[in-house]
Amino acid sequence: MFKLIIKMAWKNSFLRLSRTLLVITMIAVSMSMMIGIQGLYDGMTANMIDKNKRSDSGDVALYEKEYRVEKELKNTIKNANEIKGAIENRAGVEAVVSRVRAEGLASTARKSSFAMINGINLSEEEHFGVFSDFLKEGALSLEKRDALVGIELAKTLKLRVGSKIIFSTQDSSGEINSLALKVSGIVQTTNISLDNSAIFMDREKLHAFLGTLPSEATQIAIKSSKEGLHKALKLKYPELDVKSFLELQPMMKQMQDMMTIFNSITFFIVMSVVFVGILGVMYVSVLDRIREFGIMLSIGMQYRYIRVQIFLEALFVGLTGYIFGATLGAFLLLYLRDYGIDLSAFADAMQSFGYETTVHGTIKISYFTTTFLAIMSASFLSVLIPLRKIKNLNPIEVIKAEK
Amino acid sequence: MIKLQHVNKYFYRGEPREVHALRDISLIIEDGEFTLFSGASGCGKTTLLNAIGALDTINSGEIYLDNKEISSLNEEARTQLRLNELGFVFQAYNLVPVLNVEENIGFIMRLRGLSEKEIKERVLEVASMLEIDNKLGSLPNALSGGQQQRVAVARAVAAKPKIILADEPTANLDSKNAKALMDMMRELNEREGVSILFASHDAYILESVRRVIKMNDGAIVDG
Repeated sequence: MFKLIIKMAWKNSFLRLSRTLLVITMIAVSMSMMIGIQGLYDGMTANMIDKNKRSDSGDVALYEKEYRVEKELKNTIKNANEIKGAIENRAGVEAVVSRVRAEGLASTARKSSFAMINGINLSEEEHFGVFSDFLKEGALSLEKRDALVGIELAKTLKLRVGSKIIFSTQDSSGEINSLALKVSGIVQTTNISLDNSAIFMDREKLHAFLGTLPSEATQIAIKSSKEGLHKALKLKYPELDVKSFLELQPMMKQMQDMMTIFNSITFFIVMSVVFVGILGVMYVSVLDRIREFGIMLSIGMQYRYIRVQIFLEALFVGLTGYIFGATLGAFLLLYLRDYGIDLSAFADAMQSFGYETTVHGTIKISYFTTTFLAIMSASFLSVLIPLRKIKNLNPIEVIKAEK
Repeated sequence: MIKLQHVNKYFYRGEPREVHALRDISLIIEDGEFTLFSGASGCGKTTLLNAIGALDTINSGEIYLDNKEISSLNEEARTQLRLNELGFVFQAYNLVPVLNVEENIGFIMRLRGLSEKEIKERVLEVASMLEIDNKLGSLPNALSGGQQQRVAVARAVAAKPKIILADEPTANLDSKNAKALMDMMRELNEREGVSILFASHDAYILESVRRVIKMNDGAIVDG
């Protein structure tokens, strides 16, 4: 009997072909758009997080206990090289960098601005976060007096490749010292803090300028996706301030949460449209065949079989829509991942929020599983009202009506 | 055997428009009867057929099918009774449009959970008896009215019900098809021993049946 019910449900699902195709198209298009939007939202956040990690703290960062409260050179990690070496040898650690950082004033002949000088080792940074990706203009060089400048700082000071700047700060002995630098390149990390104020120069030269030892560092950043590393390092180095990425960047967590809320709202709206679409089709389909159901009841078919049949009909329509929607959505996500959407028309606004001008999507299995569950739920819920109509049906009324 | 005792049925259409559709009907129909309820339109013959067929409820009295009182059964039990004991033939054929002739004829047997082998054998037997065995793969909309009604009869007969209730089965058929259908139903009655009750005012049925129960204004006046 069940085989026959499946057959009837399948054939009835496609009996009014144009109507069914319309709903399937609606489901497929809504679903693929939904998947695309989810991928895009997540892609934007993921990209921002990725760039912040690569350009700054990594997944976990270590500081001297007082450094983040009082950013002075007395608060450096003294045995940074030793700690860095030990962490590099831990399982699951992909890369480690140590940096020295000082705040000061960057000046040109006409303008001056707050700046943060970062002593980095280019080859370590390349391994850690592909630093060359951030170069917007000029060359990736920290030779001699070369320096790389954050894109917003360059705009503020009206710097171009080849411009000269003077950076002044207090060295480790408390003296105010100045350093003349030449802009070799302009970088854009989409890390707002770095883009607004960072000057990157060679770490060893910065140590010499600041009077700090090469074994010291203000920050040790670690790239690792290993669960529990943060906790383990906290236990291992109780004398240091060990922070995870989200502890250092609580705003990123808020951004993630906000995107989840946006996604949920969009998801709810799209699924409501799908629900109403299937409901409309199923309701009309049941009304069209009300006599057929009445006759089935009158010849002895139990209501539960009719209920199964109607559920299956909704399931077939929903499932077909889902298959087309998932296929379309997968292609859309692949396109968004590989080519992205160019929003350079809104470049200023995007960059001020730390977004890239070309937004790339991400692909997650969860986009497909959640939409599958939602469409199946929408399909099942949408037949409840039509089923009520059949449950309350009196076969006699149908038989009388045919005369 | 069907036994009716003092059956009354009212249709309420608001005071004072209460209609007394069946008036104190008492009746016995033996197994294997080939009987017609006849009378003018609105005399209550279809209402009586529906009450016997557990499709409609009554307001008072009792209806027994093989000594089992059926008028007080709940909806679920009445559906089960219709499935297992009764067969129906309607004026408008009412075949399942997405199923072919073979599946339509086997529909009730499948609902009853008979084996596929049993169903196939019985479908072939009934289809050849009603001369539609060459149409088993066709969908209902590819058949003529007469052929569709024969499929509806085959569906009712195939599951071997105790009683077949046929409400105006020839109303949509031309005279040739109506006569052919009645000949076949009479043959089924004789060969299968199944009781067949008609509600109709068709002359062909009147000529074919062995017993005529005349009704007027909800009451039996003759038969």
